[in-house]
Amino acid sequence: MTALAVAGLSLRLGAFVLDDVSLTLPANDVMVVLGPNGAGKSVLLETIAGFHRPARGRIAINGRDVTTLPAEKRRVGFVVQNFGLFPHLSVAQNVALGARAPRRAEADSARIDIAALLRRFGIADLADASPLVLSPGEKQRAALARAEASHPDLFLLDEPFAALDALARGQLRFELARFLRVLRLPALFVTHDYVDVAALGGHLALMHAGRIIQHGAVDDVFRRPVSRTAADILGFENQLAGRVEGHDGRQVRVVVQGNVLRIATESAAPAAREVYVAIRAENVRLVRPDAAPTNAADNRLVGTVVALEPLGALAKVTLDCGFRLVACLMSRDVAGLGLAPGAAVAAAIAASDAHLVVP
Amino acid sequence: MIAVPRTWRGPESVGSPLVVLAAWLCGGVLLTFILLPLIQLFAVQTTGTLLQVARETDVRDALALSVTAAVMTALVAGLFGVPFAYLLARAEFIGKSAVAAVVDVPLTVPHTVAGIALLMVFGRHGVIGGPAENFLGLRFWGTLAGIVVAMLFVSLPYTVNAARIAFEGVDPRLEMVARTLGMGPWRVLARITVPLAWRGIATGLTLTFARSISEFGAVVILVYYPMTAPVQIYEMFLRYGVEEASAAAALLLVISLALFILFRHVAYGRRPVAGGGR
Repeated sequence: MTALAVAGLSLRLGAFVLDDVSLTLPANDVMVVLGPNGAGKSVLLETIAGFHRPARGRIAINGRDVTTLPAEKRRVGFVVQNFGLFPHLSVAQNVALGARAPRRAEADSARIDIAALLRRFGIADLADASPLVLSPGEKQRAALARAEASHPDLFLLDEPFAALDALARGQLRFELARFLRVLRLPALFVTHDYVDVAALGGHLALMHAGRIIQHGAVDDVFRRPVSRTAADILGFENQLAGRVEGHDGRQVRVVVQGNVLRIATESAAPAAREVYVAIRAENVRLVRPDAAPTNAADNRLVGTVVALEPLGALAKVTLDCGFRLVACLMSRDVAGLGLAPGAAVAAAIAASDAHLVVP
Repeated sequence: MIAVPRTWRGPESVGSPLVVLAAWLCGGVLLTFILLPLIQLFAVQTTGTLLQVARETDVRDALALSVTAAVMTALVAGLFGVPFAYLLARAEFIGKSAVAAVVDVPLTVPHTVAGIALLMVFGRHGVIGGPAENFLGLRFWGTLAGIVVAMLFVSLPYTVNAARIAFEGVDPRLEMVARTLGMGPWRVLARITVPLAWRGIATGLTLTFARSISEFGAVVILVYYPMTAPVQIYEMFLRYGVEEASAAAALLLVISLALFILFRHVAYGRRPVAGGGR
């Protein structure tokens, strides 16, 4: 069964648009919609939840067409930035509001339900607390318990972590992924942070300017960005312009500024075609220029260090190899390799870490 | 020592003793300016004169009328102003800023001017006053209805503006979440939006009440009789002089302040007002 089927959804809302958006989410699966701010991600979620009337298109949740239903009849659990707990009600009252929804007319034993639910989410001792005093983690649990109390068919999560610091974000991301698995509920999670994707995603859709520009299994999308915009959204720091020279078996040879790069790919690209090679900075391994190659199959480039940018535990190094190449490595390796502006260094890139973008 | 603040928001250097002292001197002048006349008003009274004036039927009727009319005005302002404030807070439409400016117009219209303008509309031959009297038997000239109309004109911006700011402070996403939990739009208003905006709404109603009970200019022109307390006090002042009038004035002040404090207390619950500076 399909948890969510969005077909040809179009809408204009002030500066935001949805342009022929189609998505399918299988039951008990999680889809992350990744895109920059202003791409229309929140509008998409709010339209699925029932707050904007689409100009065209259909929305079906669990096989039920909800396109014209008001929000209160769509059976979605909506989790918003900062979790949207009602500050004038206690945690238990917040959850009870979900349980007492009209659609749950049979929930006479709401009080018992709520106590059990709070225990399940590990917030039983916070039942009488005000949401204002909760930690972000407790807020997330309360928001999920409240949504769960209303027995939704689908969770919609609109950047719930966006306002949090990096440490809390990491913990909450992990916990959310666990809860979604335990609850066995399909979820659509919207974010502009590609770090969220690995923790949560089974499926990934990339959104740009109101359109879904690519979607599929997370690994597939990360391995095969369909355009430079997709590569930008996925956080590929290196997108090198080149020209296809030829194929050897399952590898494509691309010439980038006189250097031949071998790229593992299943899709063929015609010779002489102008393409881009997308490489994540963390997949550019830096070695001493005189070191013997550890893997003969790796692409090897020689260059000089142009800039060093320390990022705490990590450091970003920009090389000049005839073109700019950005590498990201552990800070402790910077000194070990003797990296400094002007220093010569070699870069090794596995053929499987370089991706072909055919515009 | 009073000049030492318990906390200082901002750089310590800006909170140097001289700056704080200078600010307290300015504040002291203002506080004296506010409190001295009010204290003086009570200082000249004796219990005897207050009781005597309180026993006068004219004065008692006028005070009761003022309180009744001001409460009714606040209710009418709430009835029309709160839904309108919600619209102004949530809806975007062409000419919204002009509409919002119209709401503020009464704040800038001199109250005698307001009274005359209202008289031309609600008077015996006015566009509303005429038909209302002919078809509904409702007169505004010389009636409680007229007093409420005059008070409403000068005091409704307080309710609309305070409620609008309160509604704007309610995150629309909370309303969205409530809807997805299965609540219809009216239930969301009743259970989420209005409770969250309640303090602001109540503050607006209290300000409308306070402004209404103190209104003189518009009321005296549109209605005159029956006399509200300010009109009664003015008449006593003209007829008997400042000493006679001051006893009634002190009485009105006590009642206004007592009700103002009571309403604020109700609006804010039993908890003290956060950051109230006390």
